[in-house]
Amino acid sequence: METTKTLGRETEIYNDYVKDWKDKGGKVVGYACVATPVELIEAAGLLPYRIKALGNSDTELADGEMSLFNCSFCRACLQLGLDGTYDFLDGLVETNGCDHLRAMFENWQHQKNLDCFYYLKVPHFLRDDSLAYFEEQLEQLKELLEEKFSTRVSDEALEEAIRGWETVREKWRELSALRELEEPKVTGSEALALEVKGSSMRSEDFSRMLSQFMEERKNAAGIRPAARLMLCGPATDEVEWFEEIERLGAVVVADALCFGSRAFATAMVSEGDPLHRLAESYLSSIFCPRMYLEYARRRDLLMETARRARVDGAIYLYNKFCDLHGVDSVLVRRDLEEAGIPVLVLEKEYSAKADIGRVKTRVQAFMERIGGGA
Amino acid sequence: MDKGFVMREGENGFERAIAILEMIYKLPDNLSEEDVEAAKNFVFPELQHTVIGLLELPADRELELFFFRLLLGILKEAQNAQAEGKKLVFIPFTFPPEIFYAFDNIFPLCTEIVGGLITNICYGQGERFWDFAMGLGLPDSLCSANTIGTMPFFMGPGLRADAIVYNSAGSCNPNAKIHAFASDYLGIPQFILEKPVDESARGRELYFEYLKRFVQELEEWSGSEMREERLREVMEKSYQAVELYNEFWELKKARPCPVPNIFSMTLLVLRSQCWGRQEAVDVMQKMVDMSKERLRTGEYTADEELARVYITYIYWLFDFAGYFTWMEKEGITILGDILAIHYFPEMDFSSKESMLRGMADIAFDYPMTRQMGGESISMRWLDDVAWAAQDLGADACIFGGVHACKHTLGTAAYFRREMMKRAGLPTLMLTGDVFDKRHTPMEMFQEEVKTFVDQVVAKKKAPRKRKKVQAGGGAE
Repeated sequence: METTKTLGRETEIYNDYVKDWKDKGGKVVGYACVATPVELIEAAGLLPYRIKALGNSDTELADGEMSLFNCSFCRACLQLGLDGTYDFLDGLVETNGCDHLRAMFENWQHQKNLDCFYYLKVPHFLRDDSLAYFEEQLEQLKELLEEKFSTRVSDEALEEAIRGWETVREKWRELSALRELEEPKVTGSEALALEVKGSSMRSEDFSRMLSQFMEERKNAAGIRPAARLMLCGPATDEVEWFEEIERLGAVVVADALCFGSRAFATAMVSEGDPLHRLAESYLSSIFCPRMYLEYARRRDLLMETARRARVDGAIYLYNKFCDLHGVDSVLVRRDLEEAGIPVLVLEKEYSAKADIGRVKTRVQAFMERIGGGA
Repeated sequence: MDKGFVMREGENGFERAIAILEMIYKLPDNLSEEDVEAAKNFVFPELQHTVIGLLELPADRELELFFFRLLLGILKEAQNAQAEGKKLVFIPFTFPPEIFYAFDNIFPLCTEIVGGLITNICYGQGERFWDFAMGLGLPDSLCSANTIGTMPFFMGPGLRADAIVYNSAGSCNPNAKIHAFASDYLGIPQFILEKPVDESARGRELYFEYLKRFVQELEEWSGSEMREERLREVMEKSYQAVELYNEFWELKKARPCPVPNIFSMTLLVLRSQCWGRQEAVDVMQKMVDMSKERLRTGEYTADEELARVYITYIYWLFDFAGYFTWMEKEGITILGDILAIHYFPEMDFSSKESMLRGMADIAFDYPMTRQMGGESISMRWLDDVAWAAQDLGADACIFGGVHACKHTLGTAAYFRREMMKRAGLPTLMLTGDVFDKRHTPMEMFQEEVKTFVDQVVAKKKAPRKRKKVQAGGGAE
């Protein structure tokens, strides 16, 4: 099966979908972290756009602001913010996901000084007091969007957006089931490509795209993978990496990536008004190493995913200088290996083509170790 | 050369450092030049640098001997805390220790102080502990200060903490993450006080609520309530030291600066491990008295004060002689770093609640927590350091960047530009490490600083020659 054949990989930051939205007078609000409730942006009649770099390896301008000790993905995104690629954004939502991300947003805002800029302060643990605070944060974001875009976010609109994104999550689970089959009908690179594309769409269009894709694949022949892998790590939109790994005969049947399944991990609670539900659902579903007290939850989710997808091994892939994932990877490797799941930890630079050969060699060796070598 | 101080495999670095430090009890109170020379020759090279850094300059000698003896006493208390029925907790250097001294049965040990001790006292510095961390698979982008500070407790027998606390979630990933990791690895509980990146009244109020919950959790865990009377005693001690800190700050404004460079390190250790205790008051008092005396006599180590620099981030602490003493001999005064800027609110000692509220403000505005956990890292950092540098009359700034500190490294370019615009102060940008000399050797640091002072600072201070304007408008 040719990966991403029917899908087509996203290559443009300012893609046709967004252009069309803007041509019709629509406004676009950028965000970077999955802790941002996109429902709120959508309910304001706006297009939520997840900041990505699509493999951009030119970081000349960003390197003038951030250091080489900063995450190359954040620098790649900042570059596109500074060079004007992201000038179509009408607003930006910062989150305190990690030190690199905070620095990226600060530099972006220093240089671009966007009129609609909101710093969504996401607590690092879930408790009654932190939840109340996060809900206030969402209320402030709502008010800002209403003011800046002369709109009103009604409870009805929020409910509709919540339903819309719930449908997306439901579709993602269906897609994941196709990946997890004995003979997968969807590859990891295809799933990532779908997420990359969908993360700059409104929910109804994202759902439609997922449905169409799955419809095409439902009756297709499955793949017999040389190895069933799970990929873990931070945000990466590099479909190419998945493709390179899968070209070795493996299939990434599951993932715990920030562009990937972690973006769909939000479990909506049903009690309370919509803003409260959003606050509680999001704050309780951040499976990111930034949630310091919640390693056990992250580990359990990984174990459950690995078992459900019957993986032969897991690859923990993160960008150099990412301390959050760098430290978590040590614990994940220890715990997964104790449970009989071999783990390969790989550190790389974002979009560094020179890294691919090195990584392929290590993945090949890993596949030999887990019995999936050619 | 093995002079009897070599660490053995698996040895607990903290215990080893204390054992070596005990030598200072054997030193006479009034050390002569010959005594210092003898002490220097008795020890291995790393410790030689420490001996020189602390004892070579007559102005430093008396104070540092006094201080290290008191510090050793506190560290030995930490060592014996569990035997005396107390819980030992690891704390980071971004946390006010006085809050733990306010408990009858909790004793704090600052991990970065442990790292600093090992680096400056043990053979091979902290390298074996850093390498051990790398062997565990931890990323090399972590902070050496807290990695070297925690790893000794992973290796071999010896002291173990009962819990780990940290408050850097939201302000520093490497710091928070290594403490969380240590909790998991050592199988001991972790207590977290999150700093909201929100400087509004709501953010401060939330932090106060978090602090109260934090205290409550510690009370439940330790099985004893924080007594109001004990808290008051500790806070009163703390504020005696605060008075002296304010006086100390004012003394640094004089030209030439009467405060020896090494006192900056002393203040850092005092604040991180000793605040809230009599030892901090005694050492601060001595630092103030000695600086006053130097001010009175006009004493300054070099012939001339060539440059007054503000370290915009943190000192490099792996070679006291190469850093503090060398700059002092060169006529380069260190006015402070980010860790020297403290904000102490007016304290209301009337109740436990009021003191905890004051404590929440202290912790909220604690160095690094305040800036790196600020709503804007760059703006809060710039505001604070620009104020400090200008208040103390700095001529220039040095950014001793640390590879682990992604927050500052990510905004340092903006900081440097704005510092020049706002305060007219040039900043030398350097990257290295606090505790690991392998990143940037001290010789390289010295070369860069010397060139900077000669080429930039001296020229900036020299009166500008007016160009003669010739008839016709051209300059001569």
